[in-house]
Amino acid sequence: MRILVVEDDAEAATAMLRGLTEAGHEVAHAVDGAYGLLEAQRGGYDVYVVDRMMPRLDGIGMVETLRKDGDQTPVLFLSALGEVEDRITGLKAGGDDYLVKPYAFAELVARVEALSRRRETGGVQTVLKVGDLEMNLIARTVHRGTTEIDLQPREFQLLEFLMRHANQSVTRTMLLEKVWEYHFDPQTNVIDVHISRLRSKIDKGFDRAMLQTVRGAGYRLEA
Amino acid sequence: MKLPSLFRRTPFRLTLLFLALFAAAASAILAYVYIASASEARARAQQDVLGELTGLQAIYRTRGVDALNQALVERIVRAGPYLYVLVDANGMSISRNLSESPVDPKTPAAPGAWETFPLTDTDADGRVEKRQGIGQEVMLSGGERLFVGEDIGDTEAYLSRLTQALWLAMGMVLLLGASGGLLISRNVERSMGRLNQVVAAVQDGDLKARAQVRASGDELDELGRGLNGMLDRLEASMASIRHAGDAIAHDLRSPLTRMRAKLEVALIDAEAGKVSGVDALEIALSEADHLLKTFNTVLAIARLQAGGARDMVVFDAADLAADMAELYEPAAEDKGLDFSAEIERGLMIEGNQPFLAQALANVIDNAIKYTPTGGAVMLRARRRSAGDIEYSITDTGPGVPEADRERVVQRFVRLDNSRTEAGSGLGLSLVSAVLEAHAGRVQLDEGPGAYGGFGPGLRVALVLPPASSPALDPE
Repeated sequence: MRILVVEDDAEAATAMLRGLTEAGHEVAHAVDGAYGLLEAQRGGYDVYVVDRMMPRLDGIGMVETLRKDGDQTPVLFLSALGEVEDRITGLKAGGDDYLVKPYAFAELVARVEALSRRRETGGVQTVLKVGDLEMNLIARTVHRGTTEIDLQPREFQLLEFLMRHANQSVTRTMLLEKVWEYHFDPQTNVIDVHISRLRSKIDKGFDRAMLQTVRGAGYRLEA
Repeated sequence: MKLPSLFRRTPFRLTLLFLALFAAAASAILAYVYIASASEARARAQQDVLGELTGLQAIYRTRGVDALNQALVERIVRAGPYLYVLVDANGMSISRNLSESPVDPKTPAAPGAWETFPLTDTDADGRVEKRQGIGQEVMLSGGERLFVGEDIGDTEAYLSRLTQALWLAMGMVLLLGASGGLLISRNVERSMGRLNQVVAAVQDGDLKARAQVRASGDELDELGRGLNGMLDRLEASMASIRHAGDAIAHDLRSPLTRMRAKLEVALIDAEAGKVSGVDALEIALSEADHLLKTFNTVLAIARLQAGGARDMVVFDAADLAADMAELYEPAAEDKGLDFSAEIERGLMIEGNQPFLAQALANVIDNAIKYTPTGGAVMLRARRRSAGDIEYSITDTGPGVPEADRERVVQRFVRLDNSRTEAGSGLGLSLVSAVLEAHAGRVQLDEGPGAYGGFGPGLRVALVLPPASSPALDPE
């Protein structure tokens, strides 16, 4: 996957470049919004990771320009600003996700990968398949192999999100944001408990556990 | 007061401008009156002169030059208003009461031309008066020429008196206006000076300076009051910023100290080979994360206390309660707690949803954390009889002794029996800050009481005012 990192803080950029490269991605770096815009206009990127506060052209201005030019490449905003209104401003300007600094590296990688995946699965799907796990979005049924799995509505949503991001790490924060649609910081392991309930339904009694815990990051549904 | 500076003052300049305008207007009126009066006097005199000429011409036509001469002499003797000159065809004077004809006796005047001429006279007190006359000359059929004029000097005198009076009035107005302007500008100057002193004092860093406000309620007082209000607000936010800064510095010292100690221990252990370097780094990372979390919470509290909550939306408190119950129920049950929720529908409030969610989560987190296995946690959302919306979380944990209930919402206060649990000691402080920013409050009470080794429990109520505007029906 080709990622363009637009970040003026050299140290943060270096760390990001190393980490994303180690995660197996091809990464380019631009030092501010103006260079970022030039680089983005050359094309060929799957995701832009854009810092909001930059000299010359800031992240919002850069992404607004790209969107005006019809560039629909997913954008992850990075920002030291964390207020709700900042997130809303970022998303309105054409950002697809918003990550507040400082962040755990696993969180950044997980969100970048989730964004790129989203673009690949264009079009309306009615059936999701991951390995022998099958979800029918119309009938709202889930089967693993031939066994029907009975899920609560929230468990269904949780599994749907995991299946849409199969073979990717998803973090607890991402799950709270995307499945429950809440932006706050739970002090305890509430998400873990939901995952373990889901896990007991989809993995119990099967040879292979699909729902894996990724240490220091979150979870991954593996085919 | 220095004179040059006076001219720079707005009230005085306005007064001068007003006076100049007044003088210009008065001059224009004067000119109009002058011209109108003068031309009216002339017109009347001309009419009179023409009438007299017609009469005299009739006498000449019917009875000849001698009768005309006689008539003229009679009129002169009667001292009528007219001035006459009658000369024969050779330009020799026949009769006159005017020392000199204004018309050259050698050259006949153009018919119908009006002639203005100077008159010298003496008034009742013997003073010489310069007056003006106006008249017309006609050629009679026998070659004689008759001039009839009228003294219009009276009008001129009237006009000059009028002019004089107007100039005098204008002078007085100018004098009064200038001194009035001076007075007003001194007065305004004094009031403005007081305001300027306040501004200068504030510029020098004295935020406590305030303008004196009189009760007169004029616009300067209004300005003074506005200035004072602005300074009050400024001083308050400066104080709260200073307070927040102090608080943040204070709040972060203890977690930093703790982190340092843990790192030191990890380093010693790593050197002794008890833990690997990677483990030590992991400890450092998790401590740094914890510190950042604490820092974010402290910052959130400071911002809430300084500026209140933003991004307020009207939403159903019941929905938030239901979501929270759904989110936390598995965690509670995992710990062997009986978790239940009682939620009334349609509890519209206006608030910042993420902050309120965080507040509710913190309280539920605490309840689950401190209630021993086998206990119960209950979440309720209802409308109080007074109309306020109340979330309450009741647990059967050890509770908080009444004496400590005020203290636990303060920052970093952790009761002795909770020191072994993970946590920053900021949870309830944030809850309290969130509720205060929503004009609400946190209320701590005893739970259901002690029974079978449990209790007495804790009941935490988050009380919020209902949304003021009737919310849109979600349907």
